Amino acid sequence: MFLTNLLPDLGLMPLRAIAFQTMLLMLATSLEAMVLRQRLRLGYQTSIRYSASMNLLATTLGWFTFLTLERLLPVELRQQVISYILFNRFYPNGWSDRLPVVMVVTAIGAFFLTYWVKLQGLRSLMVLLGLQPSPATASGDRQGRYRAARNQTASSQPSLTLAVLQANALSFTAMLLVLLIRLVA
Amino acid sequence: MIKWLRQTVTELYTLLLPPQYFSWQMVLYLSVFSWGMSLLGRLLGASAFTVGLLASGGWIFLALGLGWGIQANQIKPFGLNLAPWVVGAVLCMFVFGTWGGGWLQPALVSWPLVSFGVAAVPHLVSWDLHWKTPSPAVRQQLVLLFLLSLLLSTWLQFYFRLQAWVEAYPSLVADRLDQSNFVYPIPGQAVPLPAGIAHLTQAEALVRSQLEGQPWPSVERWLLNQEGQRQALQTQLRNRPSPAPEDRLWDLDLGVSNQGDGYQLNLWAVWTGPAATEGSYYLEKSCQLRPIPQPISPESVDQAVAALPPTLWASFTCNLETPRRPGHPSTAAHANP
Repeated sequence: MFLTNLLPDLGLMPLRAIAFQTMLLMLATSLEAMVLRQRLRLGYQTSIRYSASMNLLATTLGWFTFLTLERLLPVELRQQVISYILFNRFYPNGWSDRLPVVMVVTAIGAFFLTYWVKLQGLRSLMVLLGLQPSPATASGDRQGRYRAARNQTASSQPSLTLAVLQANALSFTAMLLVLLIRLVA
Repeated sequence: MIKWLRQTVTELYTLLLPPQYFSWQMVLYLSVFSWGMSLLGRLLGASAFTVGLLASGGWIFLALGLGWGIQANQIKPFGLNLAPWVVGAVLCMFVFGTWGGGWLQPALVSWPLVSFGVAAVPHLVSWDLHWKTPSPAVRQQLVLLFLLSLLLSTWLQFYFRLQAWVEAYPSLVADRLDQSNFVYPIPGQAVPLPAGIAHLTQAEALVRSQLEGQPWPSVERWLLNQEGQRQALQTQLRNRPSPAPEDRLWDLDLGVSNQGDGYQLNLWAVWTGPAATEGSYYLEKSCQLRPIPQPISPESVDQAVAALPPTLWASFTCNLETPRRPGHPSTAAHANP
């Protein structure tokens, strides 16, 4: 009896969003862990931990961006966002013609932003775990810092950049495929 | 049987009265004592500061005692360490609950983060209150835990954003939500009615006040000015005493057709906002306008007047139901004239 009273009070719950997000996060984490393991020669557990941290960071920042932007958008665009979230379709209003462009630009922007966030996240994580002494603390003087930065650029940085780019591309492709399958099915 | 009973009593005794004074039960008792004292203080009319201090002590001892107790008894469902979450919940209730008003939202949204803080503090601060650096493995674990609690917090924020949308656009929930990738309507719940029904009732009252009991010729004149009446309905909708953001998405319209010796007046509430189906929907209220002879009151019976053809007056009746139809009334009118 308590439950039947409670459910209507709770209102709309984003249960599907939580289920989908959990699934997509696991998918992306495992795929990116594979890429990181091959490219950076890491262990199984380490690569999974790195990839999970990267993806969780990108997801939470994405949510924060969405929640903030949703407040700032013009009312008509907000209504389109609501329409997409509640009914999985857009409805005809003043923004209908521009929506495909907005969607494509948002998707491309999201790809590069997540890539940047993941790269920075992974670098900070490695610094935090003490794997790569950050250039500033390694040596005080300007010359040493320059050398350290140069060494880093020469040895580990390009492979890290490329690995994260490849991992991000792979997980985005996989998620796009899942969304397409969901659209068709 | 007696042996089992005695054993249970002994266990209960040690649970309620632990052998050491430095134990979680004692902290819980302190909490209860603090509560009792604050209640006593309130009854005796102590200052608000004293009562608040004692109550705060009660909350803090409750959080400490619960966390200690759960940790000490190794209550770990599904391998999950429950203690930080319970302590975080108690702390959030304490901090935000004293605010009053809409405290539930900030309390729930910050709950995962506070719980993370509770879980992280033992790793970051030593017993003599100095910072300490945990090992890299612990650091990695803390990073993951922090990000997970952030994600939980954003999910809760999204939940509250959904409630804000429903509050601003209540008619959205009256539609089918099963296509959504985000929300899941729990089956078996009562689906609310769209606000358009209330708008139609208001429109009916407005039309009734203008038509009922009026002479038939003036009614026909009223009907001629259809565009003007439409605008009057819209103005009434826009100037509602308690406007909602979704009012702008409702369009009121009316259509007139001949029916017998009177007219059929259809009032429409057209939804122009987000909808589950292509081409949206509208609600229809059918009303009948009939000419009726003037009711003759016995005092004013006059032979001369009675000989004249009776003056016709309008009677206005509306159907109670407001069927929901797909599309737009202008296109539907062509389909079935």
